[in-house]
Amino acid sequence: MTAMIEVRDLNVIFGRGADRVHAVRDVSFAVPEGATFGLVGESGSGKSTVLRALSGLNPDWSGRLSVAGEALTRRRDKAFYKLAQMVFQDPYGSLHPRHTVDRILMEPLAIHGFADPDRRIERILEEVGLGPQFRFRYPHQLSGGQRQRVAIGRALILEPRILLLDEPTSALDVSVQAEVLNLLQRLKKERGLTYILVSHNLSVIAHMCDTLAVMNHGAVVEEMDVALLKRAEPKHPYTRQLMTASLGYDRSAIDRFEDFGIDAESSGVPDTSTDAPQLESERKRGP
Amino acid sequence: MSSEAQGSEVAGWRAWLLSSSPASRSQARLGRAYIGWLSFRANHLAMLGLGIVLLLVLVAIFAPWIAPYDPNAQILADRLQFFSSQYWLGTDELGRDIFSRIVHGARLTLYIVILVAIIAAPIGLAVGTTAGYLGGWTDTVLMRITDIFLAFPKLVLALALVSALGPGIENAIIAIAVTSWPPYARIARAETLTIRNSDFISAVRLQGAGRMRIIWSHIVPLCTSSLVVRVTLDMAGIILIAAGLGFLGLGAQPPLPEWGAMISSGRKVLLDQWWVATVPGIAIFVVSLGFNLLGDGLRDVLDPKTGGQG
Amino acid sequence: MSENPLLRVEDLKVNFPTRKGLVEAVRGISFSLGREKLGIVGESGSGKSMTGRSILRLVSAPGQVTARRLEFDGIDLMKASESQMRQIRGQRISMVMQDPKFSLNPVMRVGEQIAEAYRTHQNVSRDEAKRQALDMLSAVRIRDSERVYRAYPHEVSGGMGQRIMIAMMLIPDPDLLIADEPTSALDVTVQLQVLAILDDLVSQRGMGLIFISHDLSLVASFCDRVVIMYAGRVMEICDAKNLAAAQHPYTRGLLNCLPKIDGGGSDLPILRRDPAWLEHGA
Repeated sequence: MTAMIEVRDLNVIFGRGADRVHAVRDVSFAVPEGATFGLVGESGSGKSTVLRALSGLNPDWSGRLSVAGEALTRRRDKAFYKLAQMVFQDPYGSLHPRHTVDRILMEPLAIHGFADPDRRIERILEEVGLGPQFRFRYPHQLSGGQRQRVAIGRALILEPRILLLDEPTSALDVSVQAEVLNLLQRLKKERGLTYILVSHNLSVIAHMCDTLAVMNHGAVVEEMDVALLKRAEPKHPYTRQLMTASLGYDRSAIDRFEDFGIDAESSGVPDTSTDAPQLESERKRGP
Repeated sequence: MSSEAQGSEVAGWRAWLLSSSPASRSQARLGRAYIGWLSFRANHLAMLGLGIVLLLVLVAIFAPWIAPYDPNAQILADRLQFFSSQYWLGTDELGRDIFSRIVHGARLTLYIVILVAIIAAPIGLAVGTTAGYLGGWTDTVLMRITDIFLAFPKLVLALALVSALGPGIENAIIAIAVTSWPPYARIARAETLTIRNSDFISAVRLQGAGRMRIIWSHIVPLCTSSLVVRVTLDMAGIILIAAGLGFLGLGAQPPLPEWGAMISSGRKVLLDQWWVATVPGIAIFVVSLGFNLLGDGLRDVLDPKTGGQG
Repeated sequence: MSENPLLRVEDLKVNFPTRKGLVEAVRGISFSLGREKLGIVGESGSGKSMTGRSILRLVSAPGQVTARRLEFDGIDLMKASESQMRQIRGQRISMVMQDPKFSLNPVMRVGEQIAEAYRTHQNVSRDEAKRQALDMLSAVRIRDSERVYRAYPHEVSGGMGQRIMIAMMLIPDPDLLIADEPTSALDVTVQLQVLAILDDLVSQRGMGLIFISHDLSLVASFCDRVVIMYAGRVMEICDAKNLAAAQHPYTRGLLNCLPKIDGGGSDLPILRRDPAWLEHGA
């Protein structure tokens, strides 16, 4: 099986001089066609930055990215956007507030010159579980879950083979999250899509993905098969701590939490100080 | 048709406009406008402003039918008359009916205001959104040019331009337009900066849209509402500058019944025949007030930040 | 729970008149609270935040709050005057909000804000207030409290900001703390660390805590009792440790639709809402 997406030695550096932030450090992974790959980590771990470099939103990267066997350049052409689309975290910010659902879905069709836009819009609304009655509504007339369905529909209307999902359900209520996750699973099956799912939620990752990479401070600390996670057998102490934390509140476990600092990362030895987070001005900030 | 049937028809229209699942693009658009109108209507001062502006427009359209006299007809025997049933607002120093001149002056005022708005606003919008979205050296160059224009007081710059171009109403309009666009460019740029990094712009970039498409169909529509508000609020200022140029003899030339020029000619007799200068002054005041009230009301309805339309 | 609860809420209603008619945010809920950790859980629009705000009478116009009984430590909060409420707010009942950046004054050093909060309710000297503020910062486990005392809000991270907020809210030694999604903007490990601080302070000081959250599993593991709200009504109130055995279909639905780390890859069960739930709440 050939890799649909391949990332080799990806580095992302923002800013220069004193403001220099090394957001992603030597990240490599490969995703076979039809698989779902999870990127999990806490805020500032660089997981979303990897996704934005892949999607073409962020040109400040170095390394080797390839999709469907083709190496990617910093500037992408239209053909790339037909191949890979992205769904954003915040359903309230990712839809144009003055455009109707119809206009939002029409835009990609117009850009790529698709024929028969009316039929395509009707069909995609059906597929993401929204009836034709939603077609001429404005985003403010929709709930968060409905907006996210529109965003998924917008991503899929170009019939891409890859979907990059940036925390697609973290802004939603859990009951709506379940519906959206089911929808994503169904669409993947029907269309044979390849997903990269970025999330801070280990349960969501475990539910959706085949393989996953755990990121901390810009680097991948561990890449593993999801079966390992389900059996609660991750190797790295950071992953184990994330697992403990995602199981809920346990007063005694919290005292054993460690701060996996940036230096500890490279040496593999966790920093044992249980210090509070430092002043933000003195620590690395994400973009 | 019975009034009952009429009532139900009105209710039907209302329901159609307020429908939460419109069946067509135009229904969605009209429904949105209707909701905006409903919240605008609730603001009494804004409605007063709208009333004044509509009155100005109607007076301008029907000026020849409203005005009892030719605005330029001089009846020297009836010079400087006070208000009477014959001359409702008196006559000026050449015996021209002031009411008729005010009515015809409404046309000039509207002409100036509209032309300035349709010249200055698009320039400001184009410069501001382009600078804001593209950033880099484009931004630097465009904004420094804007700064140069902003460095001069508006009236002084307009005066300089008119004296270079020569007096006259068209030149006054050009001068006012040239001095009006920089603030619009600043507003449009500021709005663009807040919009350009939002997810919905990223999304359309990822669909492969070009820069011009993003600016025109995604950024401009979000900047226009605050610009419309600002332009409406500026109308009062435009009228005042036009009147100021007219007053200094650099705007509309005699015998055009421009309100500023009318004040200017009335000033010679201000102490004895106060109404000659005061009546056009009141007209300028009322129309400026109308545009200001309208602008305030529009801001409440249109400003995306106050969430009138979510 | 003691026989004389700290807070007693009966038939609390919050209504908002709008152009489209009356919006009932809270539709007659009742619960009581002792010196314990009570969780209020619900999805967006369930009225959980409005419940917290109405206890402090912080629902802004045009919202209308009514209640058959809203009693805090023997004081009728519905009848209390605005100046009495100011006495109660902060000193006896405190509130921690979701985002500390909105609740802290951006141009004032955080330590001074904490000291100020102390001096508003206690008649003490500046030095004494500062000493208390530094103690409080240490109590929320900020190590370098002198340095943090001098920091401005924009200089601190989210987790630190939330600790500072908690310090500020707890320094007047209130009897009841209302925490509205206090940690949902934080990373999961930081979130748990902040909750641990809250937990320790609540048990040391014998306070009551109302913990408002959308996260059912977090509330179940953190609180003593849980109030489940849906569409402005209480669906059920149960002991947190028995939540897994909850009976109400809404609670069951919420629990079931969570993906689980060790779960299967099949579709998640979808929560089916029953209009009958609105007819008769608990």
